Amino acid sequence: MFRRDTPAEAELRIEVRTWLEANLPAALRGRTVRPPPAELMPWYQTLSRKGWIAPHWPRQYGGMGATLNEQIIITEELARIGAPHLPVQGLNHIGPILMEFATEAQKAKHLPPIIAGTVIWAQGYSEPGAGSDLASLSTRATLDGDRFIVKGQKIWTTWAHHSDWMFALVRTDPQAQPRHAGISFLLIDLHSPGIRIRPIKTIAGDDEFAEVFFDDVTVPAENLVGKLHDGWRIANALLGHERLSTSNPQFALMALERIKTMARASGIIEDPAFQDRLAAASINVTALSAMFSHAVELTNNKQSLGPEASMTKIFGSELLQALNELLIEAAGGHASAENPIATNFGEVDVAASFLQSRRVTIYGGSSEIQRNVLARRVLNLPN
Amino acid sequence: MDLHLTSEQALLRDSAAKFIEASGPKVARGFRAQGSSFAPARLREAGELGWLGILVPDSAAGLGLGLTELALVLQQAGRGLVCEPIEFAAISAAALAQGRTPHPMLEQVIAGAALVVPALQESGYGDDPLAPRTKAMGTDGALRVTGQKVFICADGADGFLVSASGRDGPVLCYVARNASGCALSTTQTVEGRKLATLSLADTPADLIPPHPASRNAVDALHNLALLAVSAELLGVMERALEVTLDYLRIRKQFGKLIGSFQALQHQATNMYVRVEATRSLVFQTAANNDPYCIDPALAVAVKAKASENALAVTEACIQLHGAIGFTDEHDIGLYLKRAMLLSSLFGNAAAQRRRYVEIAGLTA
Repeated sequence: MFRRDTPAEAELRIEVRTWLEANLPAALRGRTVRPPPAELMPWYQTLSRKGWIAPHWPRQYGGMGATLNEQIIITEELARIGAPHLPVQGLNHIGPILMEFATEAQKAKHLPPIIAGTVIWAQGYSEPGAGSDLASLSTRATLDGDRFIVKGQKIWTTWAHHSDWMFALVRTDPQAQPRHAGISFLLIDLHSPGIRIRPIKTIAGDDEFAEVFFDDVTVPAENLVGKLHDGWRIANALLGHERLSTSNPQFALMALERIKTMARASGIIEDPAFQDRLAAASINVTALSAMFSHAVELTNNKQSLGPEASMTKIFGSELLQALNELLIEAAGGHASAENPIATNFGEVDVAASFLQSRRVTIYGGSSEIQRNVLARRVLNLPN
Repeated sequence: MDLHLTSEQALLRDSAAKFIEASGPKVARGFRAQGSSFAPARLREAGELGWLGILVPDSAAGLGLGLTELALVLQQAGRGLVCEPIEFAAISAAALAQGRTPHPMLEQVIAGAALVVPALQESGYGDDPLAPRTKAMGTDGALRVTGQKVFICADGADGFLVSASGRDGPVLCYVARNASGCALSTTQTVEGRKLATLSLADTPADLIPPHPASRNAVDALHNLALLAVSAELLGVMERALEVTLDYLRIRKQFGKLIGSFQALQHQATNMYVRVEATRSLVFQTAANNDPYCIDPALAVAVKAKASENALAVTEACIQLHGAIGFTDEHDIGLYLKRAMLLSSLFGNAAAQRRRYVEIAGLTA
């Protein structure tokens, strides 16, 4: 709508689209919930062999070294065909962090298995007592010679029960003031003795995340990333990029199509009151596209986004929820059906999609936290 | 988010920002009590700066610039609550310039010596801008229009660009203010500007042919009007939010600056998100469309959102000011009133959404 492909980009788009049509197994298309590793990782590895698993990684680390526009095209084509969400903690989080902050030995050990899809990573940030107030985290890592002893608990850890490694924020100085000055960034082998992992079932019925218990777990000191007590800065260094990628309007556009299909099937599409709400929602998707295109333009021209990225996260995530609210309204009496609804226009996944959408305003910093960030750092309102 | 501008575009924005220093709420307030709703000398000044011919090609003595430049100037006009009808003059000039030979009024309109404004609306709600009830009879050279147009910012106008139904669909006509059968009745609005109803009875008119790039002259001008007013609404809400944030930073209650209260901070961020969504919509649309063929669904979407957001933001500005915001003496109310006027022009948010259902094919 706003961004137009250059001829070379259009060619890439067609190439990706054609290849996906030929290579993505039908059983993996249009899944609302991420399939388990046994089903998903072969697809990850297929993408890896094609060389498309890490468009945003530099070539020297096995990535595509793609431009931002090329990355967006691949994201959009994956979304368009209904490709399943891959585990991204390695590709989008620890990978780029290691490239920026790790030693050569750490990079050599950990980056290739992420590209190959032979190791799955989990992010160990949140704790039972440290959610939005992450800096209050208390999982303790005590340095003892050439090793850390880790004791504590992480929670809301996506795919921990399927993961091999965790990158974790741990407290290395309990006395530090401010509190975030006593936090370090540690890589933990989840197969180590003393670790117990318990999956947590969500309201959407899946077990996407888990809690992880550390009972005096030994971690080699060489697994520290960056300097001791410098973990907070490292964890926050790459957040802007992540928030940009989550505001891609492709997902909202697809949600809009689901609403229209459901509304035609249920007949509510003829109701002028519903039409008005559908128009408002559709116009908001246009606004999200404009914001995304604006942010991409700035990023491409080296104008950094910074804390303003919180704004696109708020707008994009709240819009996705609003769209899913419209979806269950369009579904009428079918709203609470557990399985996808069969219609004359194809199957529509209603309840699972709606329930999944409740998480987007919570993870990655809740909407309320994003608003605090905006108020202080963009609007310069007082403390 | 900042805009990505060329250095020429940044200069243009800065010179518009300088121009509005002589406008602002005090000046806008002054026009409420007067017969005229703007200063003709200031319109000529805008003409000298080239803004009234901003979209007009160099060959017709315009600046030959695009929608981004138009939006930059009008955003500033909105910020300054400028009363001079720069937006209507600039988009009318674009229409007057689009034929093989420009309309004779063009030169004076570009200079700000004469004023031509669009007269496209026919009712408060539910207009189909491409199916006007106003009729155009005869052919160019002997064209006559009959009908009624409403909600026109007609103050000081020497002529109008009227949409009418001709034999083969909607046509755009130029009607001189002093033409036979042309009558105006004016109503005061809540702010300095006035709105008028234009009655046309077998009134002679000139046909304004479409630009080669556009499907239809009425459609093109209407879409341009939607974007122009949206850019102005952006400026209005943006400035109103700034004024309000300033107040949150100095006003104390319970021994603290009220801007430190989370309830007010979150309200302010909601307003900020609305302003930013409008900014991205206006400027991404401007950057990706040509003046004479703006994507209609996009124009409608932008005006719907700008209208909704401008009202929501300026309403919240009153709330965050508390009782002082409800006084006539305080300037913040002027932004709400300008938002009330502009958001209703060429169809309010509800009217745009209704059109959007059709244009975007939502039910198809």
